[in-house]
Amino acid sequence: MFLKHIDLTTALRPFYLPDEVLLFVQDNVGLYEGKFKLPNYQNGQVYLTTHRICYVDKEDPRSYSVALELKEVDRYEFYAGFFKSSAKITLIPKPPKRSSILPSAVSGASHQRNGSSLTRSDSPRSNPEQSQATSATWVCTICSFSNPVPSNFDPVTANAHTPLPPCLACGIKPTLAHVLKAAISGANNRAMNTPSFASSHPSLDQSGVVPRPLSENLSLDLTSSPQTPQNDEESTFQCPRCTFSNHPSLLSCEICGAPLISRKQSPPDARSSLNDIRSESPGPVIENPKKTEQGNINVSESVKISFRKGGEKIFYERLKGSMTQRKWLLQDAPPAPTRSRLADEDPSNSSPGQSRKKAAGIAGLEQLGLNMRKNNELIIGSAFEDLEALMASAKDVVALAERLSRQNSSGADAMSAEENKLLAESASQLGLITTKDIVGGGGSSQSLYLSELSRNVAEFLTDDSRGVLKQAGGIITLVDLWAKFNRARGGVELVSPMDFEKAARMWEELKLPVRLRTFRSGVMVVQGLDRTDQATIKALLAWLKDLHEFPPEKEVPWDWQQFGMGVTAQETADRFGWSLGVAEEELLMAEEHGAVCREEGLEGLKFWVNYIDMGDVKPPKSQAQRDQEAIVKALKKSGMI
Amino acid sequence: MAAASTASAAAGADASSFRFPREYSFPAFFTRQTNLTTHHAQLSKWSALVLAYARHHRIFRLGLSAAADSDLFYNRRLDRRLGMPDIRELLDFMKKDGRIEYASGGGGGSEGEVVFVYWRKPEEWARKIEKYVEETGQKGSVLTVYELGEGEGTRGTEIHGIDNEVLLKALNVLVRKGRAQIFGQDDSQGVKFF
Repeated sequence: MFLKHIDLTTALRPFYLPDEVLLFVQDNVGLYEGKFKLPNYQNGQVYLTTHRICYVDKEDPRSYSVALELKEVDRYEFYAGFFKSSAKITLIPKPPKRSSILPSAVSGASHQRNGSSLTRSDSPRSNPEQSQATSATWVCTICSFSNPVPSNFDPVTANAHTPLPPCLACGIKPTLAHVLKAAISGANNRAMNTPSFASSHPSLDQSGVVPRPLSENLSLDLTSSPQTPQNDEESTFQCPRCTFSNHPSLLSCEICGAPLISRKQSPPDARSSLNDIRSESPGPVIENPKKTEQGNINVSESVKISFRKGGEKIFYERLKGSMTQRKWLLQDAPPAPTRSRLADEDPSNSSPGQSRKKAAGIAGLEQLGLNMRKNNELIIGSAFEDLEALMASAKDVVALAERLSRQNSSGADAMSAEENKLLAESASQLGLITTKDIVGGGGSSQSLYLSELSRNVAEFLTDDSRGVLKQAGGIITLVDLWAKFNRARGGVELVSPMDFEKAARMWEELKLPVRLRTFRSGVMVVQGLDRTDQATIKALLAWLKDLHEFPPEKEVPWDWQQFGMGVTAQETADRFGWSLGVAEEELLMAEEHGAVCREEGLEGLKFWVNYIDMGDVKPPKSQAQRDQEAIVKALKKSGMI
Repeated sequence: MAAASTASAAAGADASSFRFPREYSFPAFFTRQTNLTTHHAQLSKWSALVLAYARHHRIFRLGLSAAADSDLFYNRRLDRRLGMPDIRELLDFMKKDGRIEYASGGGGGSEGEVVFVYWRKPEEWARKIEKYVEETGQKGSVLTVYELGEGEGTRGTEIHGIDNEVLLKALNVLVRKGRAQIFGQDDSQGVKFF
């Protein structure tokens, strides 16, 4: 099982797959592999979605963020916590898919004879192939003993000089042609009846194991059973509790029901992941997490999520839900029934199309019209079907809304977990990402809600498709943003101004790419992190400098080439696309920095490049400096007298 | 006594020859700046302008209301003027530097407040007078105050035409140093240099 490295959004949240819906977020969690803590993955947020479980580290989210696909999870266990040990949820991976290796093994077997590299490779993975090679037998012409064809025997490259082992019984060397024939016939046999692999191993069927559906057992047969006779003991391993020899594919002991999962799993894993040497450190922290490229972590055992700040129960509930729903299956499913039906119609559509090609003149036109009508009928029919489907779901939505209002009016504040879940689901279906419910109830999670909201807003701001910041000239007042954000939420689950401000204040802490700025007047604005005061001043000055170049519209009494023009806040707002308030504040900010100076006249407040303070006048002396100078002066005086 | 009127008359006489600094034609220069640093620079520049203007026109006393309408504080070409409160602030600033002094009471009620503009401070004037006395070998002799300010002897030197009160202030500096002594009545004061 892999903990895959994931990409994060600008707001340091995981990128969601299409159709993926966020179900739950919890902060302050750590990851374990088996019993060991994974270093660097000990303090972060866990995002449960319909498809994945994502871990985003708090310290260094870009480098230590991983995801675990739910489809790879076989089981999950809940551990409630004990004294200092916090609650944990254990995710046990599905047994490594042998079936994925099987095709390659089969193809390897069938192509074995022309792909010598496969058989010669010493990788542990070639084990099954080796055993397959041995399964081809040649019958000794002398003593009629069935000998296995040597594993390194390749019928493609074999020639007269290939060393051949003698018969195991009588010690007489076979002829090359004989072994060759045997090898080829063996390969052909297997290519034909790989599915019924067991038949080539009568020993298995005789070992008293109940016959099983082959499709599910093949993997294990291939990996463990055909190795050698002594492999039989390994394949039917003992139950740790009652010592009954169970078949390896069983998950629990047939006699006493003890779980066999760990035992069953470790041998194939040890083989499959030989390349990553597992450091069996006695300490609770793994020294070197087995990292493959791109920050993926190969986890051979179960993964534990440790909830150090609660939230495990809701997480568990929702995990259960998403595991049963298995939404990830939908991705592979055909997107919509209508299209598939259209595809079904295709042949019938195409045949008249072909005939139309043949038909010409009026007949062809008539045919065309007929086709079009048919097509329209089909589309309308399917559209109405869609409408019905919509109505059906609308009923659910209406029922939900009614229930909600009933609950609100009755004043019952304690909603059942189920109701909550339902609500959260419907809310997220409606496109809301961060709701109070999603981050769990209770006052303790208030900060988590805020941080999620904060990320949500940051995403909203930096979303290029919306271009909220860009439209506002890179700067927007908090109030405007609040209005826009709530409007984007479609009028439901509105964010209170208080929460919004708190969330905005968290941007800095969360290292998000937007920042909240408070002007001197108390106006709060939001802008990108890259837009510092200096950058704004630079832009302002560049514009003012331009005014030295271009003659003003009307005659001015001063030397405009020397001093340029004064600009009002209105002009500045127009120039930079800011709102008037923002322009005013930015100008005042620039004035405060000494970059511009003001002129109050009949035309209102105008701002000019600061030609008053060109740096040629010494700044006013501080009180301390003045005092010092006075003392020096007095000393000099007394010295002179 | 009509020092202020002579000042403005003098200003009117050869205002054209005075070269105003660059800032004088900068519209924002006439608005009080809110930024402290800029404001300080503004005051410094105005102060320099006032002193240069006064030196050029040999203005010793400045009547505030008259000056507010003069070229000094009113740029007619730009139609910008320094407001009265700003002028007062500027004078306060200059006073801290010892560059002006409010004339006490007797400046003449009709002209409003009058200030002495010290484009040369009394100490500097005292040094000038001492130097003049020494150069002309009049040490130990008695000179009238009128003689110093308006007499034929000082013609051609900077001291000639000095405002009476400024001259007295300068002489008092010398008295305090023990280099001179003033005696006589209000109208006909004499001074003896040691």
